[in-house]
Amino acid sequence: MTPGPLTVALLGNPNVGKSTLFTALAGIPTRVGNYPGVTVEEKIGRFTHRGQAVDLVDLPGTYSLAPQSPDERVAVDVLHGRMPGVARPDCILVVADATNLPRNMFLATQALEVGVPVVIALALADVADRKGIRIDVAELSRRLGCPVIRVAPPTGEGVATIRDRVVEATNGPAPRPLQLALPKAGTAVRPAAETEAIARYAAIERLLDGVVGGGGAAALVEDRIDALLTHRVWGTLIFVGVMLGMFSSIFWLAPPLMDLISAAMDHVSAFVASLLPEGAIRSLVVHGILAGVSGSVVFVPQIALLFLFVAILEGCGYLARAAYLMDRLLVGMGLSGKSFIPLLSSFACAIPGIMAARTIENRRDRLLTILVAPLMSCSARLPVYLLLCGAFVPDRAAGLPWLPLKAAVLAGLYALGVVVAAAVAWVLSRTAFHGPPQPFVMELPGWRWPRPAVVLERAREAAWSFLQNAGTLIVALSIVLWALMTYPRNEQTIDADVAALRTAVGERIAAADDDAPDRADLVAQLEALDTPEGLAAARQGAAQRHSFLGRAGQFIEPLVKPLGWDWRIGCAALASFPAREVVLGTLGVIYDLGDVDPGDAEGATALERRLKAARWDGTNRPVFTLPVALSIMVFFALCAQCASTLVVIGRETGSWVWPVVTFSYMTALAWLGAFAIYRIGLALGW
Amino acid sequence: MIAVSLDDVPVGSTVRVRDVAGGDAVAIRLLEMGVTPGVEIRLVGKAPFGDPLELELRGYRLSIRRQEAARVAIGDR
Repeated sequence: MTPGPLTVALLGNPNVGKSTLFTALAGIPTRVGNYPGVTVEEKIGRFTHRGQAVDLVDLPGTYSLAPQSPDERVAVDVLHGRMPGVARPDCILVVADATNLPRNMFLATQALEVGVPVVIALALADVADRKGIRIDVAELSRRLGCPVIRVAPPTGEGVATIRDRVVEATNGPAPRPLQLALPKAGTAVRPAAETEAIARYAAIERLLDGVVGGGGAAALVEDRIDALLTHRVWGTLIFVGVMLGMFSSIFWLAPPLMDLISAAMDHVSAFVASLLPEGAIRSLVVHGILAGVSGSVVFVPQIALLFLFVAILEGCGYLARAAYLMDRLLVGMGLSGKSFIPLLSSFACAIPGIMAARTIENRRDRLLTILVAPLMSCSARLPVYLLLCGAFVPDRAAGLPWLPLKAAVLAGLYALGVVVAAAVAWVLSRTAFHGPPQPFVMELPGWRWPRPAVVLERAREAAWSFLQNAGTLIVALSIVLWALMTYPRNEQTIDADVAALRTAVGERIAAADDDAPDRADLVAQLEALDTPEGLAAARQGAAQRHSFLGRAGQFIEPLVKPLGWDWRIGCAALASFPAREVVLGTLGVIYDLGDVDPGDAEGATALERRLKAARWDGTNRPVFTLPVALSIMVFFALCAQCASTLVVIGRETGSWVWPVVTFSYMTALAWLGAFAIYRIGLALGW
Repeated sequence: MIAVSLDDVPVGSTVRVRDVAGGDAVAIRLLEMGVTPGVEIRLVGKAPFGDPLELELRGYRLSIRRQEAARVAIGDR
């Protein structure tokens, strides 16, 4: 018996049930990550058979071992033992789709030439039976010179035999597999890879002659389904329905779960806070660590739900059809049909959207999709839009009597994200991402029922990899930001600041007419300063204004003044880097309201009133006007103020260059957009 | 008028591939997917905007863009 564990590489075309077989053989993977230097996922699982430990290495789904894409290069490197950290395989387990044997034999015969024992698993054997496809397994095994086993993991068929054969193959005498004797040299008009591919298919036709038969009749049903679902009218309508269904379930199903997580985390925070003495440690634990944990766990419902839907669509074969239907539309923007679902789900949240870009095999398209996904107006922007639209956009119709201006502005902000994303993708695909034409050659897999075990595993895996990879970084970032917002802290400065505030409000009351609309608010604000809560809120605001982040906000005032902002808005924008929606809470703190919850009606009203009462320092000029509100909303529509998104971009692309690029270009666009709308607003006298 | 490449055959027709214009990654991928000289291909349909195309060959379905289909020369049937 071999002392160490055997290494078995699992190789197969995409969509042939490779992950189903992986789960059936090894269960939950013991190691998930990225291969060094590339963004190709590494998945290793272990099982023990007759006392022999076996490491099962799941290779990315590939059609060929002629390495063209990063996925194929990884597969080839692993198979030849050139991948650091992965032992050279003792055996290759090839998963071949029994319903589509000729095309699958292309990869299988390439695997036989690697020089390592090969075992072939005929996946979807049960589906092939139902379709009336007959395969002479014994004859195929004889012709190939390697074991061929029918598998149907849901019924358990073949799984035990696979384990036997894999362990035997590595113990037995050296294999004498089939050698196709293909031409290895090119011709004057064709490179070697092309002549080889042509000759290989010719050899496969001879190899399968008399081995595979039947299957014509059942294809008729599939044809009908396909004809309906890719029909110009019906197919498009069904597509719109499916996408709306998917999107709205994420939009409606996730929030209750997210609220539950937030509420649970609030309880944990309150409990922990009650254990710790008032002071820096408590603040660090509650506002730094626990806020970070809560801020990352809260994304899990959306991620899990989206991947559940993607896995169902992928499992039944619709994902490829969705890409097929949408391709033309997205090609115009320099993307591809596969970008559609990642971009659509980014309207709920960019994080699951960016993770869903994993389904795009083409590296260029995937990267472009990831770069523009955060421009889609996510659900975190909505509260910002709603509050500012509610408070500062006048209550009247926008040209058409049935269209309120508030709704038009809201729709405009959503449209802005889409238009800018299209423009950015278009420009990038013609400049920085310009290159030779990328093949769009996509298999449209047969229709079948998704397998619940695989669907659940996809959702679990996505959520877990997010928590493991991104979650830890989000917590770390949250601690850093907490420190920047808390320090330095000087009690004398804070006292002086609160005293100055008292004087300023007093002066404004004295200067205001008795019936001035905001007089009552000012009086209330002054009176609040005499209550313990009001004083604490004012001190909290003063502390934040004097923290590193607050000072940075004052420092960047020249940068935000052209947008019509005062330094407080600049502070709030800076402080909202952890997550956009924080901006409202931060505005509350900066304007001395303390921790208001902009989510509830009372908090929102208080914040609205306080923002309306805000004046430029030392003047009676209101800070918040319609152009300023529009400028803030446009800024938040386009900016990348979401640390978690940037962390996920870094993790998914395997490089910290891309989050920096994303942040820079989005911030630049946000500034320009905010500047433009503010100037237009002023010029038109809004 | 006889169609010469796969991008201008009518939906529903079955044609035989004569050649795939080669030399780059797109050609290699087409050949690897089984679009080789001599193989029979049926044009199953077109996406709502007329592009990409849905093909059937070697017992499975494949989608390629018109641009790629234009490289596939077809013979007379």
